[in-house]
Amino acid sequence: MTENPARTMDEPVEDVLRAELARGDAAAETVLPILRHLVTNADGTIFSEEILARVRSMLEHLVRQVLDVAAGAGEGGQREHEPGALDALEQAFVNNPALLSHLHALALEWQLTERLEGRLALDPVSPPLLQELLASSAPETQGLAMKFLASQARWCQAQRRMELPLRELPMELLHLAFLACRTLDLTEAYDGQTAAAEAVRSRFEEGGSRNGLAGRLIARMGADGVQALSICHAGVALFLTALAQRSGQTREAATLCLNDVQAARLALALRAAGVEAAGIEQQFFVLHPDIALPQGLDRVRPERAATILASGRGSPP
Amino acid sequence: MGAPGRGAASEGRGTVLARAVTDGDDRLLSAEEPLAGLQSRAGGEVPGVVMVPELLEIVRQVRQRRLPLGRAIWAQDGAEMITAWVEVEPRTDAEGCSVVLRSWRAVATAAEDAHAALERRNRLDRQVAELTARLDADQRILTVESECAELDLLTSAMATGRGRIVTEFIAAGGHDPARPLHWRLLDDARIKVEGSPREWRVVVIPQGRPGYEPSSFELLLVSDEPPGGLPHPEHGAGGAEGLGSQHLVGQDLAPVLRRPIARIVANAETIRTRLAGPLPDAYADYAAEIANAGRLLLGLLEDLADMEVVESEGFSTAPDNIDLAEVARQAAGILNVRAREKGIEIDAPSAAESLPAVAEFRRVLQVLINLIGNAIRYSPENSRIWIRLDSAGDCARVTVADQGPGLSDSDQGLIFEKFERLGRSGDGGSGLGLYISRRLARAMGGELSVESAKGQGARFVLEVPAGSHD
Repeated sequence: MTENPARTMDEPVEDVLRAELARGDAAAETVLPILRHLVTNADGTIFSEEILARVRSMLEHLVRQVLDVAAGAGEGGQREHEPGALDALEQAFVNNPALLSHLHALALEWQLTERLEGRLALDPVSPPLLQELLASSAPETQGLAMKFLASQARWCQAQRRMELPLRELPMELLHLAFLACRTLDLTEAYDGQTAAAEAVRSRFEEGGSRNGLAGRLIARMGADGVQALSICHAGVALFLTALAQRSGQTREAATLCLNDVQAARLALALRAAGVEAAGIEQQFFVLHPDIALPQGLDRVRPERAATILASGRGSPP
Repeated sequence: MGAPGRGAASEGRGTVLARAVTDGDDRLLSAEEPLAGLQSRAGGEVPGVVMVPELLEIVRQVRQRRLPLGRAIWAQDGAEMITAWVEVEPRTDAEGCSVVLRSWRAVATAAEDAHAALERRNRLDRQVAELTARLDADQRILTVESECAELDLLTSAMATGRGRIVTEFIAAGGHDPARPLHWRLLDDARIKVEGSPREWRVVVIPQGRPGYEPSSFELLLVSDEPPGGLPHPEHGAGGAEGLGSQHLVGQDLAPVLRRPIARIVANAETIRTRLAGPLPDAYADYAAEIANAGRLLLGLLEDLADMEVVESEGFSTAPDNIDLAEVARQAAGILNVRAREKGIEIDAPSAAESLPAVAEFRRVLQVLINLIGNAIRYSPENSRIWIRLDSAGDCARVTVADQGPGLSDSDQGLIFEKFERLGRSGDGGSGLGLYISRRLARAMGGELSVESAKGQGARFVLEVPAGSHD
């Protein structure tokens, strides 16, 4: 039943019941497809309890931050919010596929980061590649590496607390978040939202976020960026950024292809990024020691690999 | 006998193991064992916010919705897993709830191996860390992050000192700060930070392949005390009580001693009840003695802390319009189980009675619990204790009368003195209860006195300013 007091107050009970009923029906329709997926998908990684809990928690944190800003508390301020406003905005965020898949990818990335830390003693914050970059003789590279290290440390701490600071969102998602808040027209308490949101957006510097810094760092490495395609050397964060950049995928898609059932996509992505067959085998040995690669990967040229990847669904172009 | 405290109507039949009462801020005002012990081992106090997470959740829901709720709760109690069934209902007299414990089962949890324990410790520390920093292999600062205002000075010093060795900023007594200290020595060091009144614990987590020198470090500052500004439930309201350093027992000693003693009691109880396995009777009896001695120590500790508070300069109470009859019914309800063990009946005011007064509810409850507790302790088995109300002009009076041995005139003069035991020993008293009770009564503008004759039982009379019926 509804737990949304803001709505029950100004809507007649029938409308509320009808809306609830529609919501219930929609949920019931999705039961079977979801169940079918969970039953047949032996590898439960991408929908594990942990991942779901992490996505939920990050969502809630984002909702609170957006409402804080809209209520004029500024970033970092904390306020009490109407449960109605919280629910409505959270629903809007869930209905936004771009935002949801971004959070899902972050949760998967952190899970892998923690696993590799436990299994391979891979430092989540300063992996070997980053330590090399920190010791670089080029001051710009060194400065960038230092900034990335600081933001990666902050990100890890936030992930451990299952949070995601607003400033870590990509620009277009931040925009969508505030747009949702405005569209919902959340009560008078959030009057000042436009000005406040503008203030946050104007201070926003995408290149300063963790993903932004990782992107700049990999781009600055140029051809040497291929070094980042060894996950044990580069760490999960830089590996994913490099894989995305060099195989022409979004970072979210690159993250998803580390999942067991996406082995073909990972092999193609690595090949498209310019990794030799031996290198691909090494990455598979780290990530999926039980999966054998098909012979002759070398014969698939990187450009061809990129084409297959882009055409999606494996069908010939 | 009269109504045994709140919630009598719905308690109905069935076993009641313990009762507890909470207020409008979900603070536990009073609790019987084993709830009180669980609360203290969970790091809480009585009075103090309910520290058992699941119980807190139920109490909060019941208080907000004002509907009764019965539910199973699980709690980790040291090496034990507790499963309990509690029934919580809103109080009718005030905000808050009354809690009835119906069942209690403790099962020993499997021991954790050292590695898992370390992992868990690291997780917890990272969760509560108020400053986090990364150091390179030579313990030079790479980054530092903190949102704690108390640590601003240190954070900015460390941020500008990037590339310098961390011990230059975090002093671990008697060490040359310019040289790195082995990380194992820095780990778990207790430090003071300029600008913060709290004590901080350094946590160093090495990174890198096991068996090799660490390639970098995570450094955390963790404090076991909450950030400043949170009022202590016991000392907060009074304001004038916050003369910190004077409260040696309450602020320094009691928090340190309470937990180990509670542990002794809990373990002794486990042995006594043979939860950990069969045992000869004699040993079970020893365990019972250990548990009793531990409880005595706990009681003494609470009394000493209370004494310190009532003796401090500027001690005051927070008077309110209260119903003395209600306080008396609650006190009787809380001690009913203990009385019944000795076959004693407590005759409390009936639900229809009321007597308005101006006093602090919690303090009056404390005095009455002390008076009734004494009466139970010194009364013969199968006797009766009466709680009577009357008003005399601008005074409201509660009388607690028993059928015990009574007091001679000379004893009556002595009994309110500090540590006065009248030659008794081994009965669980500290000799402070009546002294504290009289101080409390006087602080509320009232008086506590006794009328008795040897062999005639005792009548303790608590007087507080009368309130008005409205």
